[in-house]
Amino acid sequence: MRPGVARLFRLPLRSRTAIHADIDEELEAFIASRVEDLVARGVSADAARAEALRRLGASLESVRDQLHHSAEVRERQMRIRDYWDDFLQDVRYATRGLLRRPAFTAVAVLTLAIGIGATTSIFSAVNTLILRRLPYAAPDELMTMSLTTPDAGGRKGRNDMVWSYPKFTVFRDAQSVFSSLAVYSIQQITTTSGDIERLSMEFVGATYLRTLGVAPIRGRDFDPRLDEHADAEKQAILSDRLWQRRYNADPTIIGKTINLNREPYTIVGVTPAGFTGLSGQSEIFIPVTTRPGKGDLDEAQSHEFFLVGRRKPGVSAAAATAAVRVLGGRVYSAFPDGRFGNGAAWGATARPLDDVRIAPLVRRSLLILFGAVGFVLLIACVNVANLQLGRASTRRREIAVRLAIGAGRGRLVRLLLTESMLLALAGGIAGLFVAFLGVHALSTLNPAVTSRVARFTGVGSVTLSLVSLDWSALVFALGLTAVVGLVFGLVPALGATRTSVTSAIKDGPSARGSGSTTWRRILVVAEVSLAMVLLAGSGLMIRSLSKLLSTDAGFDSRGVLTARLSVTPGAIPRDSMPLLYAQIVDRLRALPGVTDASLAACAPLSGGCNGTKIEFKDQAPADFSQQPNVGVSWVTPTWFNTMRIPLKSGRAFTTADRVGAAKVVIVNESAARTLWPDGHVLGRRIGVGQGGFSDGAEVIGVVGDIRQFADSVAKPDVFLPYMQSPSGRMIIFVRTAGDAAALGSDLRRAVHDVAPSAPMYDVQTMSARVASSTAQARFSAALLALFATTALSLAVIGLYGVMSLAVSSRTREIGILIALGADQGRVRRSVVGEGLGLVAVGAVIGIGGALVCTRVLRTMLFDLTPTDPVTYVGIVALLAAAATAASWIPARRAARVDPVIALRAD
Amino acid sequence: MALLKGTLDVLVLKTLSWTPMHAFEITSWIEEKSSGRLVVEDAALLQALHRMEGRKLVAAEWGVTKNGRRARYYRLTTTGRSYFRAESERLVDHFDALTSVLSARKTAS
Repeated sequence: MRPGVARLFRLPLRSRTAIHADIDEELEAFIASRVEDLVARGVSADAARAEALRRLGASLESVRDQLHHSAEVRERQMRIRDYWDDFLQDVRYATRGLLRRPAFTAVAVLTLAIGIGATTSIFSAVNTLILRRLPYAAPDELMTMSLTTPDAGGRKGRNDMVWSYPKFTVFRDAQSVFSSLAVYSIQQITTTSGDIERLSMEFVGATYLRTLGVAPIRGRDFDPRLDEHADAEKQAILSDRLWQRRYNADPTIIGKTINLNREPYTIVGVTPAGFTGLSGQSEIFIPVTTRPGKGDLDEAQSHEFFLVGRRKPGVSAAAATAAVRVLGGRVYSAFPDGRFGNGAAWGATARPLDDVRIAPLVRRSLLILFGAVGFVLLIACVNVANLQLGRASTRRREIAVRLAIGAGRGRLVRLLLTESMLLALAGGIAGLFVAFLGVHALSTLNPAVTSRVARFTGVGSVTLSLVSLDWSALVFALGLTAVVGLVFGLVPALGATRTSVTSAIKDGPSARGSGSTTWRRILVVAEVSLAMVLLAGSGLMIRSLSKLLSTDAGFDSRGVLTARLSVTPGAIPRDSMPLLYAQIVDRLRALPGVTDASLAACAPLSGGCNGTKIEFKDQAPADFSQQPNVGVSWVTPTWFNTMRIPLKSGRAFTTADRVGAAKVVIVNESAARTLWPDGHVLGRRIGVGQGGFSDGAEVIGVVGDIRQFADSVAKPDVFLPYMQSPSGRMIIFVRTAGDAAALGSDLRRAVHDVAPSAPMYDVQTMSARVASSTAQARFSAALLALFATTALSLAVIGLYGVMSLAVSSRTREIGILIALGADQGRVRRSVVGEGLGLVAVGAVIGIGGALVCTRVLRTMLFDLTPTDPVTYVGIVALLAAAATAASWIPARRAARVDPVIALRAD
Repeated sequence: MALLKGTLDVLVLKTLSWTPMHAFEITSWIEEKSSGRLVVEDAALLQALHRMEGRKLVAAEWGVTKNGRRARYYRLTTTGRSYFRAESERLVDHFDALTSVLSARKTAS
């Protein structure tokens, strides 16, 4: 008999008291024997006892204690050795068992790996972007305040308006719930110390860093009194990144000056590594009261500041919000604004900073993905349960045999436990690998996706690049799958240990508990319905994406290179700007290979430039709230030509449309259609609320629609000529017959020749801009599709398993059917039909679930409703095809059953 | 005469190679066979027995003595028997060598 088997019969180990009692008795017996011996030789009883104790060599107590102690040590060692032996034996046995069924093992490990890996990577992202505390001192105390506009003209008011400095001062002086407040405004600034470069920066209140609880690692923070002293010395704090990058971590940096927009600023401090302001991009911080052109600070309607504050201890977020709401009224009465009429007033509100840390759209997509990945994990669990049930039923005989030769139930349970753990471990290791890949993929996502996160909503410092593997998620997913595997492996196995040993051995593997088959069917139905929900979600996202990609954006991006150009305010007199535009365009046109060049204030599909209201100058003045909204952009005359945007009627701008000439505008087709339903567009006069065009301008042309936003159809737009309304904000568009990307250095040189003080940045082909505009949608759709595919595969595997088992356990019945004359086709049809039946039940439940769950997708779908029938028909067809395929193999096996063999088998 | 280090185990195993005995029988037997020249300390004997039981050289079972007293009887196991053979050979060899060295006489030069 092998030692391993012998172990199964080992006598139970003795308890501690039993061991002690044995020793005591033996010791007493020993002394008694010696006394007896001495007495027999004629020694008196008392003397004999004394002699016996003397001969012992030590006191009775110490001998007894010594023996007890060494017995315990021995017992413990034996126990450990036994456990270890048992454990090694279990591991060996379980490994052999798993290797003997490679298909089962591979499917189980793969299932676990996908479930664990996907959940972990998505949870890591959710944790970083949504759950983890913001990297500031006591982040729960931080709140962001914004102004609100009243509801007007049936349109809901906004609750995320920024502040003007005077409004902020009123608020600051009246409030008593915050211990510290600071405005900040995200800007760009040009440095001319050394290489001319455009820097992302924040104009901040002097207490900005203090409010966030961030202290400079070098130098000092701004003096809080700076907020009051508008004539203070110009000073700046560098981010660690800029200090490293541009100054090579110069240790003597404090006190040096940096030229910003042609003015010297003293560097007073450097922020800790990783701190880039609430915008997440700022490389330099300047007190708002010392910035260039600070005249705006007196302008009550010049709204540009975000406001962050730290609540006083003991003030709840709700109390602070209530206080801010009340103060909103006070701010409004200080600077009333009659635009909304009917006494409707601006207000103010506050939200915890944590609530606005990422853009709502990103939060939404992440939570949706998290939900989806939760479904995948659930399906993985169901699949593991299914596999374990299948195994358990084929194992009843083995377990019965082991019980018959005397194995304890505890020992059997431990063996099964080892096997489940081994499986979980293998799945966990593979899952870790998947998670690493997933997290890496997430953290290196196209930066365009993350910059969308960082733009004006949200705390920009929270980005995907921070995502790192979350171990707690890994442990959670691993634990969950392990427990599920264990429960579904153990429960049927324990049931088996209770059954009559003889019947299980006698009947052999064909006698299976009908209970476990029913369970497996229920599990398959569950898997199918869960997969259905995921399929619906991903189907909708894919349909939406394909609509998005196939919808004409209204322009031709091929062969166009773009770059942002910024003219430092004040560097060039406003009157000279038109000349500069003309020089830049002419110089670019002269570049070899360039067929056309022009400027526009913003690039299509990038969220538009500005929005404003327009007034119909040839009609009676309307109430402000009734005035239509339009998007506004500035262009040079040939921009429509460069972008191949068709002119539908009227004329394009010409060089004659210059300052001093009659003001003219061009509208797009959407604007023409919605503003003038009667079709008379050309020659109408409108006032545009921006660019000095509020007095009125003539509509001289209509161009084709272009989509300014990545996620919506074209909206009404108005174009103003740069030549009549100079602006420092420009994007260069250059069309070439050749490779647009190769034109970069020529472009840079040409611009430098004409406008050496204007930094050029963000050089990208228009095609790249188009691609990044759909990155978010592509990302969500791709991940959802991946999850749905996984879910479908797992469901199909589950179905296949159940059908195979059903066929092999009914071999005899099928044999009888065939013997009675059923043809092969009928047998096949009945098996496939049974499989499809299960799937149909799952699909019906799944569609119900999907109709509920996909509602969360509503705002993410482009031109599509969540109940889109095409999608549902498509996924049902896909599911039916997959289910047929999964049942087909067992069905074919059933049809080939030889009735003679089948009936003789038992 | 006290026992030399390392010889107690072998003596006990030798004793048990005759027949299973309880602890007092063992110590009496050794004294008797050595005509009282070898004296085993009782505590040391019990420790040795338990230690060898842990190493599976001997096995113990409760039994009844001829005087009607319960006692723990030790017997040699298979492992114990082969251990005893190897160890007693080694010991005999050792004493043989020791004896020849110590009993060497000075030869005339």
